Amino acid sequence: MPEGKFCNKTPINTEEQLKATLGDKGGKQYYEEMNQLDVDSDKLWASIQKTMKSRTKTWLEICAHCGLCAESCFLYQVNGRVPEQVPSYKIQSTLGVMVKKKGKVDNAFMQMCMETAWSKCTCCNRCGMYCPLGIDMGVMFSYLRGLLYSQGFVPWELKIGSGMHRVYRAQMDVTTEDWVETCEWMAEENEEDWPGLEIPVDKVGADIMYTCNAREPKHYPEDIAEAAILFHVAGENWTVPSEGWEQTSLSMFAGDWECCKDNVLNVYAALERLKPKRAIGTECGHAHRATVIEGPYWAGRPDGQPPVPYIHYVEWLAEALRTGKLKIDPTKRIKEPVTLQDSCNYVRNQGLKDVTREILSYIVEPGYFVEMAPNKEHNYCCGGGGGFNGIGKYREQRNVALRKKMEQILDTGCKLVIAPCHNCWDAIRDLEEEYKIGIRWSFLKPLVIGMLDVPKHLLPPEE
Amino acid sequence: MFKKILLATSGAPSTFGAARVAFDMAKRYGAEVVVFNVMGVPTKAFSQVVNDVRTGEEIEVDDEYRAWVEEELKSTFEKQIESVEYAKIVTTTGVPSREILRAARAEDADLIVMGASSGDSSAYRKGYPGSTLQRVAKAARCPVMTVHRETASYWGGFGNIVFATDFSKQAENAFKFALNSAKELGCDLTLFHALDISGKVLDQNDIEDKLIAARARIRETYGPLMGDFKDFDIEVWEGVPYVEIVKIARERSADLIVLAHHSRELDPELASIGSTLEQVILRAGCPVVSVSKPDKV
Ligand code: SF4
Ligand code: SF4
Ligand code: SF4
Repeated sequence: MPEGKFCNKTPINTEEQLKATLGDKGGKQYYEEMNQLDVDSDKLWASIQKTMKSRTKTWLEICAHCGLCAESCFLYQVNGRVPEQVPSYKIQSTLGVMVKKKGKVDNAFMQMCMETAWSKCTCCNRCGMYCPLGIDMGVMFSYLRGLLYSQGFVPWELKIGSGMHRVYRAQMDVTTEDWVETCEWMAEENEEDWPGLEIPVDKVGADIMYTCNAREPKHYPEDIAEAAILFHVAGENWTVPSEGWEQTSLSMFAGDWECCKDNVLNVYAALERLKPKRAIGTECGHAHRATVIEGPYWAGRPDGQPPVPYIHYVEWLAEALRTGKLKIDPTKRIKEPVTLQDSCNYVRNQGLKDVTREILSYIVEPGYFVEMAPNKEHNYCCGGGGGFNGIGKYREQRNVALRKKMEQILDTGCKLVIAPCHNCWDAIRDLEEEYKIGIRWSFLKPLVIGMLDVPKHLLPPEE
Repeated sequence: MFKKILLATSGAPSTFGAARVAFDMAKRYGAEVVVFNVMGVPTKAFSQVVNDVRTGEEIEVDDEYRAWVEEELKSTFEKQIESVEYAKIVTTTGVPSREILRAARAEDADLIVMGASSGDSSAYRKGYPGSTLQRVAKAARCPVMTVHRETASYWGGFGNIVFATDFSKQAENAFKFALNSAKELGCDLTLFHALDISGKVLDQNDIEDKLIAARARIRETYGPLMGDFKDFDIEVWEGVPYVEIVKIARERSADLIVLAHHSRELDPELASIGSTLEQVILRAGCPVVSVSKPDKV
C-alpha cells in the first residue's frame, strides 16, 4: 500500500507540507491513512542492526522479568496496576518482539507499539533507578520512538512538532524576525519600570547567552521580559542570539533524530558565533535535556559537552541569590505552604535537585516549604512528559496519568506549586483544569521578581 | 487624532457597546477599524487545541474554524463595517491581553477599544495573574477605551470629558490625551481630583486645607498647558476616588472619563479590588479611557 498524503515515512520539510498536515483536523485523515501504512521490514531491520547499541541489546536480553520495576512506574500505579503497564513488559512486548522478529512485523503491531511508546511511557527514566540491573525503559522507549518515527508510526501532533522544528527551527512558527521583534517589544514594554532594561541581540563576547522555549515568544513573551529583568538587576552582561535561540526539541519526543541534531547544531552555532562565556537556558526541563544532556551526543561532540558551559535557569538563579547578585526582601518571601515540582528532565537526568531547594531557601519563609513524597530524583513525572501533554489521541490516558501528581500535591496540602519547567507547568495547569483541586502554579521568575530587593539606582525616578 | 482603532472583541453581546463606540468614532474621524478577535487561549502544551474564549470549550483551530469565526464577526458587525470607510477583521489565537497588545503594536493603533471583560480565561488567569484589561491598560502604548455598558455607548458624540488626576507621571499623559480630545471634539473639560480620605481620620479643617491645596496643584500643573483652550473647570472632592470620579462624571453628564493607569500590581486579588480604574469602568455610565504611556496622545 502506498504511503498516505499526511501519514508517511517522509518527515515534514516544507511550510506547505506543514500547513497541509496542520489542516487535517485532529489528524483524522492522518490516522486513517496510518491504517494502510506498510511496514518496510527490511529497512526496519537494517536500521535496528545499524543503530541498536549493545547496551540496549544487553538490556533486552538480561531482563530477569522480576517485575521490580513495576511499582516504580507512575503509569503502572495510576492504571490499576495492570500487567500491561509494567515497564519491562511494555518494552519487551514492543521493542523486544520487533528485534526478535527481525523487523518482520505488521501494521497492527506497529500501531500497538506507537500507542505504548507514546501513551504508556513518558521517558521519565524513573524505572531505571529501581531495576536491579539498571535497565532504563525511558532510554529504550526513546530508541523505539525513533524506529517508529522512521516508519511513519508517530502521533500526528509530534509529526507536526518535529516538522515545525525542521521548517522553523522552533517548535512553533516563530521566525527570526518574530523573535527579534519580540525582544525589542519586551524591552520597550518594561523599560519604564526598569530604566535601562535591554534585551541585547547578537552581542559578541557577552558573559551569558540566553536561550528559551518557543512558547515564550509565541504566547508568553513576559517570560523573556522577566529573564531580562532578572539579568538586568543582577548586573549581568548577557545576550540572546537572533538565530539558535530555540532550545526545545519536540523532535526528541517524536524520535526524529536527524532533526534533533540539526536543531542542537543550530544552537551550538550561535555559541560559536557569539562566543559567550557560558549559556543559560530557560525554565524548561526537556529543553535542557535536549541541548545540554543529549545534545552533545547528537552533535557528535567528542567530550559530550556543549561548546561552552551550558546551565539550566535554576543553576543561574541559585548562583545569583547565593552570591548576592539578586537580593530577596525577606518581608516578601512566600508565607504559605508551597511545594516544588521536580522536573525529571533536569533532576533525574542531571541531578539538579539541590539547587532548586537552595533557591527555595531564599524565597520561602522558613517552615513553609513542603516536599512532595517522594521527591528529588525519586519524584514522579508531572504526568505529561515525553510529548504526552500535546497528543490529542491520548488525552484520556494523559488525564489519568495526571492523577499521580494530583495525589502528590494534595498530600502536601499546598495550594501553590512551583514548576520550573514549561511542560510540568502545562501539566499542572491541565491538572487543575481537569480535576479542580484549587491550586496555583508558577515559574520561578515572576515569583522572584515580586520579592526582589532592588537597588535604588535601578528603580524608576520618584514621581 | 484617531487614524486606526483596534476594536478588541469576542463578538459576544457584552462587547457590543464597545463596538458601537469604536465604529461611531471611526465614522466621525474617517478612521480605520481593526476588528480583532482572539479565538482561543492555547492549552494542552504544544497541540493545536485552544480553549474557546467565549465558551471555554476546547476547540481545534484550523482554517475552517478560522473562517467560521470570521464569518460570524462579519455578520455580527455587518452594518457597522459597511458604515465606515476602512475596516478589517483579524483573528488569532493566544493569550488575549498579549495578543491585543501585539496587534496594537503591529497595526500601530491609535486607540484600543474593548469591553470590560474581553474574554478572560479563568484557567489562564490562575497561572498568569491580571485581567485582560489590567494587562492591556498597563502596557499599551496607546490610550485604551473601555466601554462597559451597552447604554454607555454614546449617541451624539462627546460633549463633556472628565479628566481625573492623581498627579502621577502617567496622569500627565492622560491629561494630554484629555486636552487634545476636548480640543478636537469641542468638548467641555473638567479637571478633577479626588482627595482620598478612605481609611483616614481627618478633621474638617484638614480636609478643607487639602482640598484648597489640591485645587492649587491642578491649576499649577495643568493651567500652563491649556494654551488657548478655555472650556475647562477644576473640581476637587474628598472621598473614595472611584466613587467620586463616577459621581462627578454623572453630575457633569460626562461622555468620557479619562484617567491614568499606573498600578504596577497585576495580582488580581490585590489589584482588581483596589484598582480605581477597574472600579470606575465597572460603575461609570460612559466610556472610560485609560492612558499609561506618553505615545499616541
Ligand atoms: S526490574 Fe529490571 S530486570 Fe526486573 S523486570 Fe524490570 S526491567 Fe526487568
Ligand atoms: S520511563 Fe517512566 S513512564 Fe516510562 S516505563 Fe519507566 S517509569 Fe514508566
Ligand atoms: S514534563 Fe517535567 S515532570 Fe514531566 S517528564 Fe518532563 S520534566 Fe519530567
